[in-house]
Amino acid sequence: MNPPGSLEALDPNVDEHLSTQILAPSVHSDNSQERIQARRLRIAARLEARRREALGEYLDGKKESEEDQSKSYKQKEESRLKLAKLLLCGTELVTNIQVAIDIREIHRRVEEEEIKRQRIEKLENEVKTSQDKFDEITSKWEEGKQKRIPQELWEMLNTQQLHCAGLLEDKNKLISELQQELKTKDDQYVKDLKKQSDDICLLLERMEEQVKNVMKTFREELYNIEKAFEVERQELLASNKKKWEQALQAHNAKELEYLNNRMKKVEDYEKQLNRQRIWDCEEYNMIKIKLEQDVQVLKKRDEESTVIKSQQKRKINRLHDILNNLRSKYAKQIKQFQEENQSLTSDYKRLVMQFKELQKAMRHFALIDDEKFWEIWLMNEEEAKDLIARAFDVDRIIHTHHLGLPWAAPDFWFLNNVGPISQQPQKSATQIVEEMLMRSEEEEAEEAAAEPESYLDLPKQISEKTTKRILMLLCDESGFLIESKLLSLLLPLEQNECYLLRLDAIFSALGIESEDDLYKLVNFFLKYRAHRLSSSLQIKPCSQASMEKASMEETSTRSELELAEQTEMEGEKEESLVEGEKEEEEETPPSPWVIHPNDVLKILEAFVMGLKKPRDSRAPLRVQKNVRDNSKDSEYWQALTTVIPSSKQNLWDALYTALEKYHLVLTQRAKLLLENSSLEQQNTELQALLQQYLNSKINSELQVPPTQVLRVPTK
Amino acid sequence: MQDTVTTSALLDPSHSSVSTQDNSSTGGHTSSTSPQLSKPSITPVPAKSRNPHPRANIRRMRRIIAEDPEWSLAIVPLLTELCIQHIIRNFQKNPILKQMLPEHQQKVLNHLSPDLPLAVTANLIDSENYWLRCCMHRWPVCHVAHHGGSWKRMFFERHLENLLKHFIPGTTDPAVILDLLPLCRNYVRRVHVDQFLPPVQLPAQLRPGDQSDSGSEGEMEEPTVDHYQLGDLVAGLSHLEELDLVYDVKDCGMNFEWNLFLFTYRDCLSLAAAIKACHTLKIFKLTRSKVDDDKARIIIRSLLDHPVLEELDLSQNLIGDRGARGAAKLLSHSRLRVLNLANNQVRAPGAQSLAHALAHNTNLISLNLRLNCIEDEGGQALAHALQTNKCLTTLHLGGNELSEPTATLLSQVLAINTTLTSINLSCNHIGLDGGKQLLEGMSDNKTLLEFDLRLSDVAQESEYLIGQALYANREAARQRALNPSHFMSTITANGPENSVG
Repeated sequence: MNPPGSLEALDPNVDEHLSTQILAPSVHSDNSQERIQARRLRIAARLEARRREALGEYLDGKKESEEDQSKSYKQKEESRLKLAKLLLCGTELVTNIQVAIDIREIHRRVEEEEIKRQRIEKLENEVKTSQDKFDEITSKWEEGKQKRIPQELWEMLNTQQLHCAGLLEDKNKLISELQQELKTKDDQYVKDLKKQSDDICLLLERMEEQVKNVMKTFREELYNIEKAFEVERQELLASNKKKWEQALQAHNAKELEYLNNRMKKVEDYEKQLNRQRIWDCEEYNMIKIKLEQDVQVLKKRDEESTVIKSQQKRKINRLHDILNNLRSKYAKQIKQFQEENQSLTSDYKRLVMQFKELQKAMRHFALIDDEKFWEIWLMNEEEAKDLIARAFDVDRIIHTHHLGLPWAAPDFWFLNNVGPISQQPQKSATQIVEEMLMRSEEEEAEEAAAEPESYLDLPKQISEKTTKRILMLLCDESGFLIESKLLSLLLPLEQNECYLLRLDAIFSALGIESEDDLYKLVNFFLKYRAHRLSSSLQIKPCSQASMEKASMEETSTRSELELAEQTEMEGEKEESLVEGEKEEEEETPPSPWVIHPNDVLKILEAFVMGLKKPRDSRAPLRVQKNVRDNSKDSEYWQALTTVIPSSKQNLWDALYTALEKYHLVLTQRAKLLLENSSLEQQNTELQALLQQYLNSKINSELQVPPTQVLRVPTK
Repeated sequence: MQDTVTTSALLDPSHSSVSTQDNSSTGGHTSSTSPQLSKPSITPVPAKSRNPHPRANIRRMRRIIAEDPEWSLAIVPLLTELCIQHIIRNFQKNPILKQMLPEHQQKVLNHLSPDLPLAVTANLIDSENYWLRCCMHRWPVCHVAHHGGSWKRMFFERHLENLLKHFIPGTTDPAVILDLLPLCRNYVRRVHVDQFLPPVQLPAQLRPGDQSDSGSEGEMEEPTVDHYQLGDLVAGLSHLEELDLVYDVKDCGMNFEWNLFLFTYRDCLSLAAAIKACHTLKIFKLTRSKVDDDKARIIIRSLLDHPVLEELDLSQNLIGDRGARGAAKLLSHSRLRVLNLANNQVRAPGAQSLAHALAHNTNLISLNLRLNCIEDEGGQALAHALQTNKCLTTLHLGGNELSEPTATLLSQVLAINTTLTSINLSCNHIGLDGGKQLLEGMSDNKTLLEFDLRLSDVAQESEYLIGQALYANREAARQRALNPSHFMSTITANGPENSVG
């Protein structure tokens, strides 16, 4: 707008710019900090310029910026301005139609209002005039009523009709006018419609044109901008190329220089290398000679080593042979030993068998011995006792008959003794079990052999099998009583041994030690079962109590028995037998497999409860001898011999001599008596003979019977 | 066929059970001379075919035949492929979509027919691609930008619009729309309906030939021309934001009757109740519907204290001063941001009441009073209000019979106000002096970007200068938008220089 002003404004700006450029750090500086600084300044300057231009300084700005602003930027600005203008103008052009229509509408409204107002005025006037006329007509009706003369009335009616017709005509005229107006309005409406459609067409046209224009210009401007960018790029490329070429030239020159330097150096190095090579050659020769000597030595050594090697190989082979031999020998030996081992084990087995048999036999013999011993003892004792009794009888007779003294039977402890003196040792429960198991084993082996003699004093009704089964059951069910360590140890053992050890552990836990306890246990089981059977028929809940009671009863009887047993050993067997019989009367032996495994624990509990009491009282009597004590035997027997004391023997001796004498006398007397008796007999015989003779027929035939002659002695 | 079955059964007894169906499927191939060439790629199992000629069978079994370059055995499609095709075919009966892997879902969606019933697809398919196809299938021209960029939303909005446009009260079953409601309620945000059909009139049907005096007939009939009641629909749409209604009939042709275009009181009441109940509504437009003062007041009363309403457009109606007064009340009882009363019958008193409300309003940013008749009294009142208002940015007073006094006041406003960016005073009688005064006012203004003074009797020179000032303002605004940080400094730095220019 104002070129001189802008030029004036330009100068100081340029100066300022130059000065800043001089002072400002260069972008091409070596210092990075400085470069950054420079770039920042440049960006700031650009922003400043852009802002100024945007704020309306474009007249000044354009020229000012020509120096530092690129063509593309200029082109962009130009395009933007041009496009903005275009858009504004285009929009205006398009909206002009709307504005025109608006103003037309306003004018129409104004006119319409005016016309409306006029029409209303007109109508009002019309109404007023017609009302006047109507009033006039209506007033005339009054007049007409007063008219008497038909002529006048007719005239008046005519005039009235005329007036009415006039009024109607006026109204009709108005109506037609309004209708005419309506028609024109309709025409107007149609025209308006057409006009509006034209306007819309125009609007559409303009819009299309606008769109086309805008697109076209946008494309053009885009093209221009692209071109500007292209040009700028080309320029940049050219300048950069120039720079690049310069740099390349400099680079080439430097490279040439470097090449020369390098060549020189290469030559130097070559020389040095040659020198070095010569020197190295000499050294090499020297070393070579030395090394050859070394090689000779080494070769010799190598030969030696090969010899040694072969020797070693041979040795290895030999050793291998030996090793193989040894191996085969070893294998043979293993086989041998195995065989030996086998035979030995079989021997061992046999021996064990034998030993077992021996043991069995021994046990058998021991028992038999015991029995024999018992019998012999009894026999001897009986004999002794007989003797003693006779002695006592004799003594008594002597005392009473011969001496006339009162006789008192001597009272000695040993007189009452029957059987071996030692107490019958009670077997431990485990022993019994062991025996039983052994026996069962035998049984299994012998199968159908005759029933083994029951040297265990089992209660009669409890068969061995039953006991065994009960114990097995116990063993299976009360595994918890066994220590786990023991269980692990038991695993590899034989079944019977295993059972044995287990039962041992269980018994120790339960406190079962003696044979009796074991039988009690077995009996208990059986009784429990019997109770169960009976109580199952009766009322269930009382079963426990009744069982308890039964167990209590049993234990009480047991304890009594125990006491009796302590006092007299002999009685025990009988007692148990009696008891057994008693029990046999009460119940038939139940089979143990009817006992449910689940009941085992209950039974055990009850049993342990019951067992506790008697055990306390019995505790000190537990110590028992296993081996028979025969120290008192001789004493016993000795005592038996000295039943008759020596004083008595002396007495007896004296008595004996006296009696001897007495005997002598008596024998003599007896002899005499005998003589006497024989004489008497002779006498009688003779008498008989005589009688005979006297009584013979011959006598009668005789004249003189001798009888008459003779005096016959009559007795 | 029966023969082949028996022979095959004789030849190949182990497969006799299979051979019947195989033969039936491959019979066509055996009859043709070169079946493998003409065979479509879909036929799935050629390799398994079993026919009485084993030699041909061997040829069939081969995957590559060197002497026949065109032969290639159709690869058996993957099981997943078959399943997907089956799903697509039976989608209507058994829609399976969400259970599948994403890539399979994509495949299914790409092949679903756009004709599937909405009851199946509406709440199941979210894929924009599918709805794009639906829209394209149904309408030739689609402006997805008018529907928030969502094809699904567009489909439902246009579908609903279509139903509403062709709804005839009393004839169409209301269930048609109410059934759609549960399907579209989550997607429809804008309802734009530019025609509401009146109920069909019985006498017109009885005497279809007698068209000439049907108007008189209609008047005699005591017409019940209530339109579709939007209440249920609006209540059902949970995301409705925009309601754009025109009570109008399009393409009536020679059946024109005045009572086709009635916006009845009952319509008005039901509409008012509906928009009152709709708390999500942001934009409400009711144009070209012959809304007079009373109806406008009914509607505006229902909008009082509405929580989110931002835009109200009642242009092209018959609203007078009372309606304008109602709108003024609404301005102070809502968060209205845009008010459009263009082409109504608002006069000076209405404008004065609007100005009174505007004076201390802090929400309204756009006011349009084009083609009313507020005259200088109303214009002056508005100008006074703008001296205190700090919110309004756009004001349209075109075609309002304004003249110099208003311009004088407005020039003062221009010097003070820093929020107005666009004023339209076209088609008024501003006059030469008024133009000069406005130019003076413009010289102090830095914010106004548009000032329309066309056909308002302003001198060309002042119009041009005003245009220059506007241009400078625009450039400044652009600069501000480019780098807002320098905004303050540039204003201060360039203040004096600009005055020189």
